[in-house]
Amino acid sequence: MVCRAHWRVIQPRVAVDAPERLFFDEHQWQTIEDATARIIPTDHQPGAREAAVVRYIDRYLSGIEYIYAAADGSGFLELDGHPAQSWTRRVEALRCAYSEGVRDLDRLSNEIFDSPFTELDEAKQDAVLVTLSGAPKPEPLGPGRAESIGTILQSASDHRLTFFNLLALHTRQGFYGDPFYGGNRDRIGWEVIGFPGPTSLRDTNDCSFSLESTYVTGKAWEDLIPHLRESAPLSTN
Amino acid sequence: MINRDVKSLQRKPDVVDVVIVGMGASGGTAAKVLSEAGLTVVGLDRGPWLSPQTHFSGDELKFLNRDYLGPDPALNPRTVRHDLNSKAEITSFSPVPQLVGGGTVHWAGWVPRPMPSDFKQRSLHGDIEGASLVDWPITYDELEPYLSKIEWEFGCAGLARSNKFEPPRSREYPMPPLPPTAFAAKFYEGCERLGINAYPFPIALASTSYKGREPANHTGFWNQFGDPTLMRSTTLTSFIPDALSTGRFELRPDCYVREVTVGSEGRAKGVVYVDAEGNEFEQEAKAVVLCLGAIESARLMLMSKSRYFPEGLANSSGYLGKNATFHETMWTVGLFDKDLHDPLYGYSGHQMNGGSFEFYETDESRGHIGGSVIASCTVAQPINWLHPGRPMWGQAGKDADRDFYNHAMAVELILHDMPQETNQVDLDPEVTDGWGLPVARITHKPHENDIRLATWQTNKNMEILEAAGAYRVLPTHLEKSTGNSFHQHGTARMGDNWSTSVLNEWCQAHDVDNLFVMDGSFFPTSTGVNPTLTIMAQAWRASEYLANIYARGRAE
Repeated sequence: MVCRAHWRVIQPRVAVDAPERLFFDEHQWQTIEDATARIIPTDHQPGAREAAVVRYIDRYLSGIEYIYAAADGSGFLELDGHPAQSWTRRVEALRCAYSEGVRDLDRLSNEIFDSPFTELDEAKQDAVLVTLSGAPKPEPLGPGRAESIGTILQSASDHRLTFFNLLALHTRQGFYGDPFYGGNRDRIGWEVIGFPGPTSLRDTNDCSFSLESTYVTGKAWEDLIPHLRESAPLSTN
Repeated sequence: MINRDVKSLQRKPDVVDVVIVGMGASGGTAAKVLSEAGLTVVGLDRGPWLSPQTHFSGDELKFLNRDYLGPDPALNPRTVRHDLNSKAEITSFSPVPQLVGGGTVHWAGWVPRPMPSDFKQRSLHGDIEGASLVDWPITYDELEPYLSKIEWEFGCAGLARSNKFEPPRSREYPMPPLPPTAFAAKFYEGCERLGINAYPFPIALASTSYKGREPANHTGFWNQFGDPTLMRSTTLTSFIPDALSTGRFELRPDCYVREVTVGSEGRAKGVVYVDAEGNEFEQEAKAVVLCLGAIESARLMLMSKSRYFPEGLANSSGYLGKNATFHETMWTVGLFDKDLHDPLYGYSGHQMNGGSFEFYETDESRGHIGGSVIASCTVAQPINWLHPGRPMWGQAGKDADRDFYNHAMAVELILHDMPQETNQVDLDPEVTDGWGLPVARITHKPHENDIRLATWQTNKNMEILEAAGAYRVLPTHLEKSTGNSFHQHGTARMGDNWSTSVLNEWCQAHDVDNLFVMDGSFFPTSTGVNPTLTIMAQAWRASEYLANIYARGRAE
């Protein structure tokens, strides 16, 4: 048994930018690709389809080889012991959720529009997703005070989520996660939202990626904190 | 799966002076103080012993979405219910990392000091209906030298006197604050317009060269990520190495303690644990120190039933597990118009930056007692950036990320929640963990005062963001506690009265003189500040008592 501190770094079965399908069959791949493209659509800028989000999901579901990247991006960690057993079960549950999810998308598509999901136009695909999610399609944000919502945990584990919520979360993950996991192709997701992002995981491990230049320097604390102006000068930042 | 087929030699390691269970903020502090005082100490942690440079990176999927630092929600679930009559549901609640260094490995490092009023809530407010307010058995002044000690030994950056409401302090901060981030500058602007005193929030990190550490991590991958450098103050990289260098401390990672054993006189004999291979051991010690966090320490004591303690170890009062408080973090997010404002880079810096104590002390005209610290914060990295009510999909979802990710910031409050006897931790009667042991069941319902405080302060935080020019503000409200601050306290309160508290002022169990609980369990009331500084200061104080008075057979 190898403990977490000593998990080996292994090379995954396919290269980061390889096109191979590892889990989905062709129909599942196309259905999920289409669905992710409605979660983050393509407009004047690329969306989930161009970022290869479906490839990210496919690798995640392929086993436990793509769960944790090594900190320096030199490969993936070979899980062992309880975590390996747990992740095997978790991935198995996710596979079931996706297989059933694809069937549900086709069932709803056939019921409403008499065609499978991949053959619908975008508006009809959206209508199916609205039915699947059980809520209206989200509206653009306006100014002012939004309606308050209950607090949540910021770290979002996908354990025990329903299919639509998995799809939405995994699409975000595949669009904005580190490209090493197979999505966010050419850092497309980061470019769309203006996140500078590291060029590789290694840059975050050796901290050569730095946002220090965005700090506000050159102001005295007295400029920011009125009550300090009344007392003896302290220091500058 | 427990393997009992190992050599008896292995199963009974040599007796030591102290065994510490849990190697986080308090366990790391205890290991340092006890071993430096000359005692032999074994430290056990159920999680791994990782190395920052080898194991940590800015990998959002790994650290925020896939629980690399643990706990795995499938192996270590918890259950939650909102009152004593409901059925508990399996939920990730307050998932503090499980590894050597504990919460200090993933924390942002908020280290505001508690206020003198936090130690005398009962005297100040009397009987509040539905709440079980008490005074602490110690005062701010008694803890103050230890707060300074932690700030200096552990490393903390701040600016004395910049907080107008600062409690008395015997020393300056050892390091100056880092410059404000762009979003913090916005917060200072909003606060100045409203006449609110904002100041550089104290953070446990090296802002300058300090004790061999450098301010090397400006990646912004900070809160809930492991820091690959030595910039962040963690017990993994400071107090635990200090303890190891004494030669009297042995650290055993990946060892899961399932019981504190009780000897013939009703005293703690040692602990039984299972290692990574499934082998079972009993480590005997002259004293047992529990530092697992307020949920897991209560759970371990409740699992440790014996002839002497049929209701759980040191639980003759029946109060073990009760009066649990969890500090829900309430976010208010501001989105700014990118055509009118420079970018806020709400993913830069070290999570929180400017903060304020302006609303900390009670002002009954607000409709509640107590108050909370607030601070300006990042919204964090792209997958999980804070956007309450985020449009989940479609063009609106994409536009929300594209238009506002670079122009978003949060103002957070740490909810000073009222203790209530019915808010508690006990053992779930049905759900077990990956080792077949009962999981912790949380029962928690916010007190009316919690809801009023959260609502009032959230309104104020919206005003600050609006004064700073926000286009849209996104408030949160307190529906239920999710444990999202990772703060846990109160399950084994300190107190002078044996019939209503579990520990004395030295974190020593009333019932079992060689048992100490030094994590947040000891908090009689929750305070309105992040608890780690207070936990570590009191763990230091209690460890000094253990080493210098208790272990030498002296009476205090």
